[in-house]
Amino acid sequence: MDRELLLSAKDIEIEFTLRGKVLKAIRKCSLDVYEGETIAIVGESGSGKSVFTKSFLGMLDANGSITGGSITYGGVDISKYKTEKEWMGIRGRKISMVMQDPMTSLNPLKKIGKQIQESIEINQGIKGEEARKKAIEMMEMVGITDAERRANQYPHEFSGGMRQRVVIAIATACHPQILICDEPTTALDVTIQAQILELIRNLQKELNMTVIYITHDLGVVANVADRVAVMYAGQIVEYGTVEEIFYDAWHPYTWALLSSLPQLGVKGEELPTIEGTPPNLFNEVKGDAFAPRNKRALEIDFEKEPPLFEITESHKVKSWYLDPRAPKIEQPEIIQKLRRTK
Amino acid sequence: MAKYTVKRLLQSVLTVLIIVTVVFLLLRMLPTDYYFTEEELIKLSEEEKQDRLMAAGLTDPILVQLGRFYGELVRLDLGTSSRVQAGLEVTEIMTSRFAVSMKMGLISMGVSLVIGIAMGIIQTLHKDKFFDHLGTVYIIFVNAVPALVSYSLILVFGTRIFKLPSLYSTNDVARTSVLPIVCLSIGSIAYYALWTRRYMVDELNKDYIRLARIKGMSSKDIMVKHVLKNAFVPLIAYVPASLLLTIGGSLLVERFFSIPGMGPLLTDAIGRYDASVVQGCVIVYAGLGIIGVFLGDIMMMIFDPRIKLTGRGETR
Repeated sequence: MDRELLLSAKDIEIEFTLRGKVLKAIRKCSLDVYEGETIAIVGESGSGKSVFTKSFLGMLDANGSITGGSITYGGVDISKYKTEKEWMGIRGRKISMVMQDPMTSLNPLKKIGKQIQESIEINQGIKGEEARKKAIEMMEMVGITDAERRANQYPHEFSGGMRQRVVIAIATACHPQILICDEPTTALDVTIQAQILELIRNLQKELNMTVIYITHDLGVVANVADRVAVMYAGQIVEYGTVEEIFYDAWHPYTWALLSSLPQLGVKGEELPTIEGTPPNLFNEVKGDAFAPRNKRALEIDFEKEPPLFEITESHKVKSWYLDPRAPKIEQPEIIQKLRRTK
Repeated sequence: MAKYTVKRLLQSVLTVLIIVTVVFLLLRMLPTDYYFTEEELIKLSEEEKQDRLMAAGLTDPILVQLGRFYGELVRLDLGTSSRVQAGLEVTEIMTSRFAVSMKMGLISMGVSLVIGIAMGIIQTLHKDKFFDHLGTVYIIFVNAVPALVSYSLILVFGTRIFKLPSLYSTNDVARTSVLPIVCLSIGSIAYYALWTRRYMVDELNKDYIRLARIKGMSSKDIMVKHVLKNAFVPLIAYVPASLLLTIGGSLLVERFFSIPGMGPLLTDAIGRYDASVVQGCVIVYAGLGIIGVFLGDIMMMIFDPRIKLTGRGETR
């Protein structure tokens, strides 16, 4: 990969204090983000996808903090940022984010145009009429027709899909380098989903952005991503290109995720599910966090945390299966089947 | 918007009319003795009394009386007092008392709005820290301790430490009004602080605040441009109602400091069976209350764009 490295998160650890107890939400996560690429982070609820990416923006809740590792962006370790002023240099103009629910992401009492305008005024140093014009341009760019008139309307006069377009306009108004999309289509219906994904893709090309998707929809991943990171219990357990993840996955959790895809189910057969629950992150996790739910877990999985094994330069897996001393393990049938249909 | 306003206005007028009618009918069910002063009751013979009643039209069929009552009401004639201040026009009694109550009410309202809202804002900014807890202690104290106890405390401290007079006097209105205004305000300060804080914290936890932060807004701008304005919208609906109720006078405070205001008038009139004055008071209070709610709705409509467009207007 010869593209420029934009952001590099190394061994990030994030802890939350809840009622006096410490929850380790992120346990040494590393991710390199390159210019112009699209990364998808997948994993079940509570695996830390959102928390991990929110830390790039300093948007962790008040009771959470980065306790280890570094996030290098533009030559500076932004994980050490403390004040709001420092973060304001990043938020909006460098890294931005689109949240899940467009119904609540907009101020219900402010005109749409005004809300986009605000974002432009803060970050681009232009005011008033000029900023307003830019806001309307932005609305047109995200596919809102009749923007001049609609800029004077309030959020309740917009449908869910339209609101998400507005949110995207606000998030990208200042042409950030990195756009984090936190389940941008989860709250929308399927026909709108495709439109929103298309919109983000177009904007990405036009503004030359890097996009990080957070999703549990593997269909979305296959459609939009260049690279995929699979998260489980606060760690990235496997990452690689889309091809490597879909056709040559090696982590048992990735296998389980892929097997439970409804699209791959066989008619008349019960769809496989992942049994059990993720570990309680209030407690120390011993060994491989997925081992208790893995029917083919090795003994060592319960004792020692696996290191990151490199399969190719772009494909890394955190599983003892890849240790040369491990017994020979075949990829499950579904992965092999996927590869055959490639 | 105009349609909604007119509709609400008509509803309000109708409500007042119903209240007034019910009160009128109820009072007509009282024994006729109460149309005479205590003195007259002893002195006058039965026939004389009957003549007086007839002359006053009180022996006419009830519907005729009701019609006449409406007619007088339109001319703002509320009859004469027979007991509280015998012989005086009810409107006259009420105007002078109303002036006193209103002045005090308005001042205390201004004071409590400014202090209460400021307190709520400070509490929100210091949420879960010392000042927030201090404010909460105050709010709980004011609400939990019976008003008379806190008024007594104010009276004691006010007279001892600040050497302020304890009774209201028309000779020294400025100095004698201080303690009553303080008493009138402590409750509403707590009220406004509580709700300002509550609505602001509500807003702060909403997703759009997060988006505002993501787009790079500073906390200060978020507070001023998003949170404050949005938190005031639900608050604003109560302001006219409480304003009007405050200027209606407080029974307790006015009794406590012997202020010749509206507050004690109604209880006085009820205690002494002065039908015209009771009627007059009820009309005024009902009117104030309903105008308050009506204005509150209109304020909401002006400040909350979601209401303007609901057409049928009954979403809130």
